[in-house]
Amino acid sequence: MTGSIPFDPRVLRAPHPVPGAPDNWKRFFSFNTDAKVIGIQYMVVSLFFLLVGGLLAMIVRGELITPPSDLVDPTVYNGLYTMHGTVMLFLFLFPILNGFNNLLIPPMIGAPDMAFPRLNAAAFWLVPVFGVLLMASFFVPGGPSSSGWWAYPPVSTQNPLGHLINGQFLWILAVAISGVSSIMGAINFTTTILRMRAPGMTFFRMPVFCWTAAAAQTIQLIGLPSLTGGAIMLLFDLSFGTSFFKPEGGGDPMLYQHFFWFYSHPAVYVMVLPVFGIFSELLPVYSRKPLFGYKVVALASFAITFLGLIVWVHHMFYSGTPQWMRNLFMVTTMLISVPTGIKVFAWLGTIWRGKLRLTTPMLFCLGGVVNFIFAGITGIMLATVPIDIHVGNTYFVVGHFHYVIFCTITFGVFAAIYHWFPKFTGRMFYEGLGQLHFWLTFIGSALNFLPMHWAGLMGMPRRVASYDPEFALANVLASLGAFLLGVATIPFLLNMVSSWARGPRAPANPWNAIGLEWLLPSPPPAENFEHDVPTVIAGPYGYGLGKPLVADQDRFIARSEEA
Amino acid sequence: MTTANSAAPSPAAEHPHGGYNLTGFIIFLCSESIIFLAFFAGFTVLKLSSPVWLPDGVEGLEVRMPLINTIILVSSSFVAVLAEKALHHRALWAFRGWWLLTMLMGAYFVYGQYVEWSELAFGLGSGVFGSTFYLLTGFHGLHVITGILLMGLMLLRSFRPGNYDGGEAGVASVSLFWHFVDVIWIILFLLIYVWQRH
Amino acid sequence: MTPTLPRPSRPSAAGLLLIAAGLFINLLISLAMARASHGWMPVQASSAAPHVDGLFALETGIGTFIFLGCISVIIWTLLFNRAPRYDLVDGDPIEGNLRLEIVWTVLPFVLVMLIAAHTIRVNHTLATLGGKERVAENGAAPALTASDRAPGTTFGPIEVIARQWSWEFVYPNGVRSTELHLPLERRADLRLTSMDVLHSFYVPAFRLKQDLVPGSVIRFALTPTREGRYRLRDAMFSGGYFATNQTDVVVQDPETFDGWLAEAARQPLTEAPNLALELHRQRLADGDHGWATVPPAPPPRVNVTTAVDAPHEA
Repeated sequence: MTGSIPFDPRVLRAPHPVPGAPDNWKRFFSFNTDAKVIGIQYMVVSLFFLLVGGLLAMIVRGELITPPSDLVDPTVYNGLYTMHGTVMLFLFLFPILNGFNNLLIPPMIGAPDMAFPRLNAAAFWLVPVFGVLLMASFFVPGGPSSSGWWAYPPVSTQNPLGHLINGQFLWILAVAISGVSSIMGAINFTTTILRMRAPGMTFFRMPVFCWTAAAAQTIQLIGLPSLTGGAIMLLFDLSFGTSFFKPEGGGDPMLYQHFFWFYSHPAVYVMVLPVFGIFSELLPVYSRKPLFGYKVVALASFAITFLGLIVWVHHMFYSGTPQWMRNLFMVTTMLISVPTGIKVFAWLGTIWRGKLRLTTPMLFCLGGVVNFIFAGITGIMLATVPIDIHVGNTYFVVGHFHYVIFCTITFGVFAAIYHWFPKFTGRMFYEGLGQLHFWLTFIGSALNFLPMHWAGLMGMPRRVASYDPEFALANVLASLGAFLLGVATIPFLLNMVSSWARGPRAPANPWNAIGLEWLLPSPPPAENFEHDVPTVIAGPYGYGLGKPLVADQDRFIARSEEA
Repeated sequence: MTTANSAAPSPAAEHPHGGYNLTGFIIFLCSESIIFLAFFAGFTVLKLSSPVWLPDGVEGLEVRMPLINTIILVSSSFVAVLAEKALHHRALWAFRGWWLLTMLMGAYFVYGQYVEWSELAFGLGSGVFGSTFYLLTGFHGLHVITGILLMGLMLLRSFRPGNYDGGEAGVASVSLFWHFVDVIWIILFLLIYVWQRH
Repeated sequence: MTPTLPRPSRPSAAGLLLIAAGLFINLLISLAMARASHGWMPVQASSAAPHVDGLFALETGIGTFIFLGCISVIIWTLLFNRAPRYDLVDGDPIEGNLRLEIVWTVLPFVLVMLIAAHTIRVNHTLATLGGKERVAENGAAPALTASDRAPGTTFGPIEVIARQWSWEFVYPNGVRSTELHLPLERRADLRLTSMDVLHSFYVPAFRLKQDLVPGSVIRFALTPTREGRYRLRDAMFSGGYFATNQTDVVVQDPETFDGWLAEAARQPLTEAPNLALELHRQRLADGDHGWATVPPAPPPRVNVTTAVDAPHEA
């Protein structure tokens, strides 16, 4: 297995990774239908846009480090924070989660690929398309969309310069294309999980990540069309003279809010559910104990799906909603803490009396769980109507949702990247750099987002380019934390690039984990198990039980270590 | 619970990808129906809450022509079923005939919609009534046109030898789409043309 | 990967004592946090504020208790459940505990439902939100007099008009102002409307916020309980110079307030100074660099304007 063996040129040109062969990088730039290639494509594109969104955040925090609006013009600030949110959500978070779905779902269930490989590739290639569209909006006259990632009318339909092609128009188009890409993915992922599981893998032998992926993609299927509908109506109001949301034509701006949040609240569960799945996968591995209460944790995913679809008005408690509606949605919102709490307590039960190994993935998991408990508590506060009336649309909310999106979800994303990096690249990453990345990120994010809660309680609104001097201290701390987070990206990028290029070769199962993907070589061949699919004979988290996961397990282990 | 399974055939060989097409398409249709549901909800809310509904000079919508169009469109669904039955018995020319008839009925519907649009006294910019009317009927019309195009594709494919060896999932899917478009129209018709009191 | 027998699950007497002590300390810290939470809020200047702060303190206390409880479990495992360095043997194959799972499903359910029920009662007590009426044209409502006052209120109605980017308040006697003065301990009836886009009426010291929706008039009632000058901020993003859309609320005892109102009625109408307009003029003078924004709406013509640099309490 050294470089002295000459490789058959057909191997070098193969469209899929061949264990032991030097990587054929061209396949990542083509319309490749292998889910593992598409998964890496999603990951790299999303990480690029994480940097773009992060750069925008640096400028935003640079403006906010002092009370007056003195770094950029307020109109530029409005465009920057809008694009920060939009890029982070639609070009980083959703694509990277689809990347994980592509990489993880087929091997975890013993499938060769996704149900619709060409649809899969098409869904990916839409991402750079709408990414370019969104970046192009920076350069049209008038600048990019500057109405917040919510794009509430009437502000978003004001179109001050009167051009047909303006930043808001391109924004709506990009979001619509993103929706099409996501729906294509959702059809693929749900069909694959429903129909392509290995023999013996009943639903209650399926890893929790696949449960949460299925639950999340179900939300996409039900919720995204509402956003698409709202976006179409917004586009028509903006460009074609309609009056859906224009009071002077008989329309109502409140209608947009309902359309928007009917999707965008469940959207946060689309983002967090896979990360719950990641925590549920990693904690057993690094505690060497079964997942506590696996069946209930799996079912709780769908409880979250169902409840997540009936809470959206909690984003509109101080808006034009009547009191009875506010009370009703407060009750449903509070209910969602129950299945979420079940998962959190299950994770605690998993690590309790375990045998913990504090590797980088485990650190990010534990950090993510700790952060999530805090974020969940501020979530209950926001669900309480009178408290939300005071802190809604202030930095308290900004702090809360960054605690979820960054301190929980992105921590989970990092944990998953480190955990499955050896499997899909065939290389081990450098643990020291990983630990450095974790500590800088944990401290930076706490410094960045904790002070925001205090500023919000004292009454600082969100989305402001300038603020009253009494909020200065909180903002200085937050900006310092943000700059630290910027620095934290450096060890991460260094680790990823140098480990993939020249890290030590990874074995098939570096973490001694239980799961079908760990019975494959690192990296797995195209079509994963190919013609020799294992039959699953046990549940997914059999740590300490001493029983094999699949029939004839030793043969699969031997095969995976051959390569 | 077999213990020795050294060469189980892979799922790819047992279930060719064509077997999943219908599942995927049904999932897609469920999702697509929600966008129409969203538009229906929006229409209803706007109609019930707007202080101004009909634009000046507009008394209401004429129902007779749209009713005829409705009857033709809904009937075309039954014709499509006849086509599917013929295909099931592999009577290819009967299938093609009924299928083409479905397409023609759909095309007539689109033409009828165009005629109606050209005779209306209000436009997209005529307040919330014009906005919702054209959005709903236009979005639906786009789906009818897409259905006709998909049917055309199925018609062309029917000339390929051995096209139906792996099953009729393509025709079944497009037929399902056509029925879906019909059901959407029925709801639309009731909301826009029948429910005209304010 | 040899299996090990799970250890007996009942903790020893020492363990129970430790847990009890931990719970007690947790309770003390949670109570302290709940009390401290009042210090994180601005002064209480309305009848709603004590209710909001009370709810917040309750949830801070409960939240601290849950957070510290969970964190102690994690810290315990980090301290005492680490795998020895080269030990690859699995841990206990504990797959669940039905009784525990039922407890941690039912208990949170009961807790949040109790909080929700209590909050619904608080909402009813506050009763700040009135009706919402769609209007055919922005600002076409006829001039309001004291006889239009909503039931349950003892002052007003005051029309609150938000624009890009200014606030205007119209009193029942016709006085127009860019600064909201309110008499102490009178329940004020406010009619909120916007002339262009969504805005939000937010006074942190009152703990109250309500969006202003163009094309609608929303009724809102509140009772100020403390004299002073407090910030009123637009909390719903409303375009270019949204951050400058702030003014003050001045709560005065009824005699001082009446004096202010009478004096204001004698002032002529003048165009109010407007920060957004100044900034926009400056931008145009500097060459109009920056991204698109609608020009600021003409500032309102009012009898009294804001004391621009007067220090506010919250």
